[in-house]
Amino acid sequence: MCGIIAVMMIKIEGLYYAYNTVNENIPITAALSDVSFFVEKGAFVAIVGHNGSGKSTLARHINALLLPSQGEVWVNGNSTGDASKLWEVRKTAGMIFQNPDNQIVATLVEEDVAFGPENVGTPSHKIRKQVDGALAAVHMQAYAKAAPHHLSGGQKQRVAIAGVLAMRPEIIIADESTAMLDPQGRREVMQVLRRLNDEGVTVVLITHFMEEAAQAQRIIVMNKGHVAMDGAPQQVFAQGDVLEKLGLAMPRVAAFAQKLRARGVPVGQDVLTAGALLADAALQKAAAAVGRVSKEGNVLSGRIPGAPSSQPAPVVLALRDVSHVYNAGAAYEKCAIRNINLQFRVGEMTAIIGHTGSGKSTLVQHMNALLKPTSGSVLFKGEDIHGDKKRLRALRRRIGLVFQYPEHQLFAQTVYEDVAYGPTRMGLSAEEIQKNARAALAMVGLGEEVYEKSPFALSGGQKRRVAIAGVLAMQPEVLILDEPTAGLDPQGRGEILAQIQSLHRAHNITVLLISHSMDDAAALCNRIIVMNQGEIAAAGTPAEIFAQISMLEEIGLDVPQVARIMAQLAETNENIPTGIYTEEHALEVLT
Amino acid sequence: MSRIVIGQYYPADSLLHRLDPRVKLLSVIAYVTVLLFVTDFLGLGLAAVFLAFVIALSRVPVKLLFRGLRAVFFILLFAMLLNLFLTPGEAVLFSFGFLQLTTEGIARAGLMASRLVLLVTGSAVLTLTTSPIKLTDGIESLLAPTRLPAHDIAIMMTIALRMIPTLSEEADKIIKAQKARGADFETGGLVKRVKNFLPILVPLFVSSFKRADELSTAMEARCYQGGKNRTKMQPLRLTKKDIFAGCIMVIFCAILLFLRFY
Repeated sequence: MCGIIAVMMIKIEGLYYAYNTVNENIPITAALSDVSFFVEKGAFVAIVGHNGSGKSTLARHINALLLPSQGEVWVNGNSTGDASKLWEVRKTAGMIFQNPDNQIVATLVEEDVAFGPENVGTPSHKIRKQVDGALAAVHMQAYAKAAPHHLSGGQKQRVAIAGVLAMRPEIIIADESTAMLDPQGRREVMQVLRRLNDEGVTVVLITHFMEEAAQAQRIIVMNKGHVAMDGAPQQVFAQGDVLEKLGLAMPRVAAFAQKLRARGVPVGQDVLTAGALLADAALQKAAAAVGRVSKEGNVLSGRIPGAPSSQPAPVVLALRDVSHVYNAGAAYEKCAIRNINLQFRVGEMTAIIGHTGSGKSTLVQHMNALLKPTSGSVLFKGEDIHGDKKRLRALRRRIGLVFQYPEHQLFAQTVYEDVAYGPTRMGLSAEEIQKNARAALAMVGLGEEVYEKSPFALSGGQKRRVAIAGVLAMQPEVLILDEPTAGLDPQGRGEILAQIQSLHRAHNITVLLISHSMDDAAALCNRIIVMNQGEIAAAGTPAEIFAQISMLEEIGLDVPQVARIMAQLAETNENIPTGIYTEEHALEVLT
Repeated sequence: MSRIVIGQYYPADSLLHRLDPRVKLLSVIAYVTVLLFVTDFLGLGLAAVFLAFVIALSRVPVKLLFRGLRAVFFILLFAMLLNLFLTPGEAVLFSFGFLQLTTEGIARAGLMASRLVLLVTGSAVLTLTTSPIKLTDGIESLLAPTRLPAHDIAIMMTIALRMIPTLSEEADKIIKAQKARGADFETGGLVKRVKNFLPILVPLFVSSFKRADELSTAMEARCYQGGKNRTKMQPLRLTKKDIFAGCIMVIFCAILLFLRFY
C-alpha cells in the first residue's frame, strides 16, 4: 500500500464541498461535487475553468485551507482531514496566490522567504540555508535585501514562490498566480514553475491562459464544481466545441491549426504551439505552394479594418513634445516619458502597447489632465487643456479615462448611484443624469434588474462593466481604457472587447486601448503605438507594426502568434508577404 | 510614482547601526529618564557631550538630526516662552502686566529648551540607526517576558509597515480615478468635504478588507500559527560590543544621577 501512495502525490476521492451561507434564504450550492482524481509525483497539472467553476476551491483543498464536506483528500499519503498532520500537509503542498501584494508579509524579501520556515520552528542556521537556496532557485538572490514594494509583479510572485520553496515542498499550487502580471512577468513565473517541475516538484497550475495550460502534461477542466474533462493538452484542446460550451477557448495556435485543417491544410491534430506548427510538414508544404497569388496578398495587407477614408477626420487630441519627470529635482527623479508627439483623429481606435514601466500609464494620465506635462502641451480640439483651470472638469467629462481594475473604485450603495456619480459631479440636470446613466448601463449590457443591487454583490466581470459604465455615463468623446481585460476569464475578456468594439462602431467614440496583449490590439485597432522606456518605439498600422517582429521581441512584448508564424514562413518563402497578423488573412494566403 | 520612505532610517554601516536594537531601545529609555532628573547646566552639558560623541559614532549627517527638531519647533518655542515669562523670581529684568522676565526665567527656559533638544535628538539617533524591522524585533524581544502579546504586536507592526506603501499607491490611484469622474476635494464646508471623500474612503476600506482576508489566507497556507514554537532566521544575539555599550550607558547614567543627588 505504501508503494502505491508514494507514487500518488495528491489523491482526491468523492470530494464534495459547499460554502456555509450565513443567509438561510440562499440555498446551499455545492462548490465542488463528486470530484475524484489523483496526481502522480512530479506531474505538471493545469486546472482550467471559467470563474466560479470551482477550481480555486479545489486548489484550497490540496493544502487543507479548506476541508471536504464529504469525501477525502490525501497529500503525500496524509489525509487533509487529520488535524495532527495539518502542518505536514501545508509544508508538503505550498500555495501561491493571485495578488502578489497580498501574500508577502515581511518588509524585506529575505525576511519574507524566511516566514514559512520560521513558522514551523526550523532552527535558525537551517533557515538561512533554505532561504538562500530558495532565492537562488527563483533567481532573486540579488534582491534579498530589497523592499517588496519596489519589485515588479513578476518578481513579487517569484518571491512568493521562494517563500514556498523554503519549506522544501513536494507540491506547488499556483492559484491564478499569473493573472495580474504582464506578459514578461507571466513568462518569468512560468519559467520558474517549469524548471522546478523538471527538478521533481509536482506543480498544480490554475490559470485562465490556455497558452499556459498547454505547457502542462495534463489539463483538468472544471465546470460547475465537476471535473468536465481530464487529459493531455492535445486531447483536451482537440475538443474545441466542448471547451467553448464551457466558456473556455483553445490556445490561439491550436485554433489556427484547426481552421487550417478545415480549409484543407492537414496539419497535425496535436499542434498547440507556434514552434510545433512551424515544424509541421503540411504547413511548410502549403507555404511553399503559395505562388504568385501573393501579389494580391500585398494588397490585402494594406486593407485595415475600419481604415480611414480618403478624407481624414479632424484631430481631437494632440500631444506636443510632452515630457514628464517624477520628483523633479530630487535625488530619485525619474523621467517617465520623453518628447512624446501624437495625435488622435475623431473615430480612431488606437492601441498603446508596452510592458509595465514603459510609460503608458503616465502618458494617458496627461490626456485628461490628471498629470501636467513637465514640458510640452496637450491640446484638445486645438486648445491647451491646462489653459483654463476652471474648465478642467468639463474637459474630464469629454475625455473619459477607465483605469486598470476600475471595479476597485466602486463605492456607492447601488449600481445606479455609482454610474450616476460622474454626471452628477459634472453638474448635469436630473433628467440628463438619468438618461446618461441608463444609456451607459445599456451600452455595457446591464439591464434594469441590477440598478438597485450593491455593486459589491456582482460578479467580477459585471463589476468591471459597471465601472466602465460610470465613465461612459459622462458621454465622453474620447474613451481611454487601461487594460480593460486584465484578470478576467476568457469569456469575460471576449465580452468586454466585443462591447468596446460595438461602442466604437455605434457611437463613433475615439478609443484608446492600453494593453499588454498584442492579440487584442491586432483584433480591434487600426493603429498601434508601441511605448518603450518612456519613448515611442514604433507607431503605425498593425501590419506595419507586426512586420517588425524582432524589434517587438527585443522590447519584451508578446507578438500575436499568427503574426509570428507568418513572419517565419515569409522568411523562407519569398512569395508570402510580410506583416500578416490576422487569422483570416493568413488563411487566405495559405489556402 | 514616489518612493515612500517609512520612518527615518538612515542606512549606513556604523558601530551604532550594528548594535543590538534591544540595547539601543533600553539605552534611549534610560537616557530620557535620566534627562528628566537633571536640573542643572552641568548635567545637561555632560549629556550633550555624550550625545555628540554618540552622533559622531553613528555617521548620521547632522542635517538629518535637525530635521527631526523642526517637527517639535513650535512645542519648543511655546515651552520656552512659557518658562521665560511666567517664572516668578527676584531679579526682575522687565515686566508687562502678569508677564515678567526674570533671570530665573531665563535660566529655566534655557534648561527646558536644551533638555527638549537633547531628548528629541537622542531618540532620533535610535530611529535613524535602527531599521523598522530591527526595531520591531527589539520590541518583540523586550516585551516577551511581560504578559503583553509580544509576537502579535510585532507582526502587526510588520504588516503595517509592509502595507503602507501598497495602500498609499492604491489611494493615489483611486483619487485619480474619481477625479477623472469629476470628484472635487478642495471646495465646500467640512461636512461636504468629508462627504466628497467617501468615493475614496469606501473603495480603500473595501480593498483593505479584501487584502486582510487574502493575506491571512496566505499566512495560514504558510503554516502561520501565531508566535507559538516560532524561530527566527536572524535571532537577536548580544555580542561583546553590545555589553560594552550597555556598560557605558550605565556608567553615564550613574554619573548624571550622582551629580544630581549628591
